[in-house]
Amino acid sequence: MLRRSNGKGWNGRSRVFILLIVATVYLVGIFVWGITMNPVKYGVNYSEKLVSPCIKHLFGTDFMGRDMFYRSIKGLSNSIRIGLIASVISSIVALILGIVAAIWGGWIDKVINWCVDLCMGLPHLVLLILISFMMGKGVRGITVAVALTHWPSLTRIVRAEVMQVRNSQYVQAAYKMGKTKVQVAVTHILPHVLPAYLIGLVLLFPHAIMHESAVTFLGFGLPAEMPAIGVILAESMNYIVTGKWWLAFFPGILLLMAVLLFDGIGESLKKLWNPGSGNE
Amino acid sequence: MKRKQAGLWACIFVLCITLIGCGERKQSSDTKTDVTAFVGTNIFEGSLDPVKGAMSYGYSFTNNALLKVDLNSEYIGDLATDWEISEDSLTYTFHLRKGVKFSDGSDFTADDVVFTYETVHNNQANNENVDLTRIASVTALDDYTVEFHLSEPYSPFFDTVAMLQIVPSDAYDSELFDTMPIGTGAWKVVQYDANQQIILEANENYYAGAPEIKKITLVYMDNDAAFAAAQSGQLDIVMVGANYANETVNGMTLQKFETMDVRNISLPVLEEQTQKNSEGKEVTVGNNVTADKAVREALSIGINRQTIIDHALNGIGVPAVHFTNNLVWASTDTYEDGKVEEAKQLLEDAGWVDSDGDGIREKNGQKCTFNVYAASGDEERYNLAVALAENALELGIKIEVKTGTWDEILTLQNTAGVVWGWGQYSPTVLYSLFESELFLTGGYDNVVGYNNPQVDELIHQALSANNQEDAISYWKEVQSTANQDEPYLYLVNIQHCYFVNDNLDISAETQIPHPHGHGSPIICNMQDWTWK
Repeated sequence: MLRRSNGKGWNGRSRVFILLIVATVYLVGIFVWGITMNPVKYGVNYSEKLVSPCIKHLFGTDFMGRDMFYRSIKGLSNSIRIGLIASVISSIVALILGIVAAIWGGWIDKVINWCVDLCMGLPHLVLLILISFMMGKGVRGITVAVALTHWPSLTRIVRAEVMQVRNSQYVQAAYKMGKTKVQVAVTHILPHVLPAYLIGLVLLFPHAIMHESAVTFLGFGLPAEMPAIGVILAESMNYIVTGKWWLAFFPGILLLMAVLLFDGIGESLKKLWNPGSGNE
Repeated sequence: MKRKQAGLWACIFVLCITLIGCGERKQSSDTKTDVTAFVGTNIFEGSLDPVKGAMSYGYSFTNNALLKVDLNSEYIGDLATDWEISEDSLTYTFHLRKGVKFSDGSDFTADDVVFTYETVHNNQANNENVDLTRIASVTALDDYTVEFHLSEPYSPFFDTVAMLQIVPSDAYDSELFDTMPIGTGAWKVVQYDANQQIILEANENYYAGAPEIKKITLVYMDNDAAFAAAQSGQLDIVMVGANYANETVNGMTLQKFETMDVRNISLPVLEEQTQKNSEGKEVTVGNNVTADKAVREALSIGINRQTIIDHALNGIGVPAVHFTNNLVWASTDTYEDGKVEEAKQLLEDAGWVDSDGDGIREKNGQKCTFNVYAASGDEERYNLAVALAENALELGIKIEVKTGTWDEILTLQNTAGVVWGWGQYSPTVLYSLFESELFLTGGYDNVVGYNNPQVDELIHQALSANNQEDAISYWKEVQSTANQDEPYLYLVNIQHCYFVNDNLDISAETQIPHPHGHGSPIICNMQDWTWK
């Protein structure tokens, strides 16, 4: 009842909807802005080294006179791109494995569950570093590493969802009508698990972005010449001690906001698609 | 309310304790006897055992060699007092210093010298820094005379002798000496905590008199952590990169030291092609842009080294176009840089013209652009390369700066530029830079693929010269001949920077020109340090 008096005509649904749109516009905006940005904007300019934040340089400049605002946007855009690619691959793997495990069952289910347990049993960061290093680091290495390590939890969710519907009457009816397992999976089960899958996908983004930045920060991800939040934060470590706080502060906030907003989008979608909360 | 008051009293109490604590710390710094220093992490990276090549760059503190360098980079006696060389340069006789004791109290005699050289000679594979393969025999003529026979004349033999410090024959223990070597040096290790700290105590037996400071702790830290520790007064000496040079630390002053350490960029001289390496594997070598001598020459005269140093290193360092003058064998013919028009003309004459107006020249469809790699984690070299790239753009040459681990660089060094650091007393570095036979033999030798029979011949003559003067003149000729082809683009002779406690005198007048060592060489004269 408190909600109604606060909302003044805005119900929960539309508030969630607005949050969703704002977050999406913000993230897509940064993504597109970064991709289309002219590299000159964050290029070196030795006449303006280590300028503290001002109107001209909102986030200040670094030791090479690179504008940190544009560099951070470009870096975040790079992170989002890698996060997108990696989590899409990861989620598709999860979707296929989850459905296959639940429908076919038997030893296939067991093997897939073993793989899930194996991947979840290993410390995430160690696995990421190993794969990234093995693939020669850089964009390819980090993308493959993130893609290969983020499917297990989503696989479990998809598998559980499929388990719920596979014994329902309409699925059994489809079998009785002579449909194969593949046909049933695609036409009857996939649409049912799609909402859970999409929410899982969106909730993967923040993980993927955080892990990309973390591995890059540790020096096993993107190379130093590429603008990326991890690189920026690693470089800033050398300057924090001399009081150049803006080098770490703003890019850090930017990364945090992106992660929180992705998380917000995921949660909003969950609320909208969940029959229990969708009509509030 | 009572509780609040109690909290207040607790706060005041803690504050008082802290203030008293601060007061005490200040008091103790007036009567300080020991020194805590951060001089980079180089010392922690390998064994301290001279037999395995430890501290061969000339700033050892636990052991002494027969010879050492003086302030003019010339060799003077350390454990040897004088020496004779035979006419044919195959026999070297060293007369040893008498009355020298090891830190365990035993006497230093010719047997220890023979033992050290034979151990290294028999286990050459364990020691990549001191090459004794040309020694035929080492014999002790009496307790204080040692005779070396060489299998062939080898002019850099003094460099070799100065690199190898003597270990005691009866107390040598390969495992123990990795961390706590026994030697004749001014210091002995009393505690070794891997990647944390090395605690040194003055060796009361040191032949030149025990150091005045009795205890020095060398700590292992990250650069930024070390700087923070210095700011909070925990360190007496802290090595800093050029990026901290404009900072100030209370009670400490920035001191800069001359080095012989140069930074240059290798520019592959071969056209792109495949060749077989020493393991018989086909590898791609060469670079079509840097293979053009005009490009290399335009870079060497067209860039402005002082601007690059100002940009990348906060102005710390000296522009360099060859090895440094503080080396006796270094070529001294210098030239002016910053001649942009001349460099542009050179490129245009060679056919490099900017026809599509993007600011970068082309020739036969080939853009004038190439990659330069800097070791990842070495911010200084990365900054240098970026500043160079910015400077070279003015000439219409686009340099893409990339970073890679040394393992990656090993596979890229023959096709792209790499930022290198060189600083050593021995002229044998010229052999590894220019000798054609060393190309593709693995390691970091002659990465550019330089092949000039005349230079090879000069190197051979220099190595086998039977007196120092001839050797030096050959080495200078090697450089003046090879440098005409500009296979390496010299940029800067770096300087080492340290913040030093104002009350500590680190005897700047007895510091040798610092060899390569990422800031560690300041310890070369620890025995002369005193508290004011």
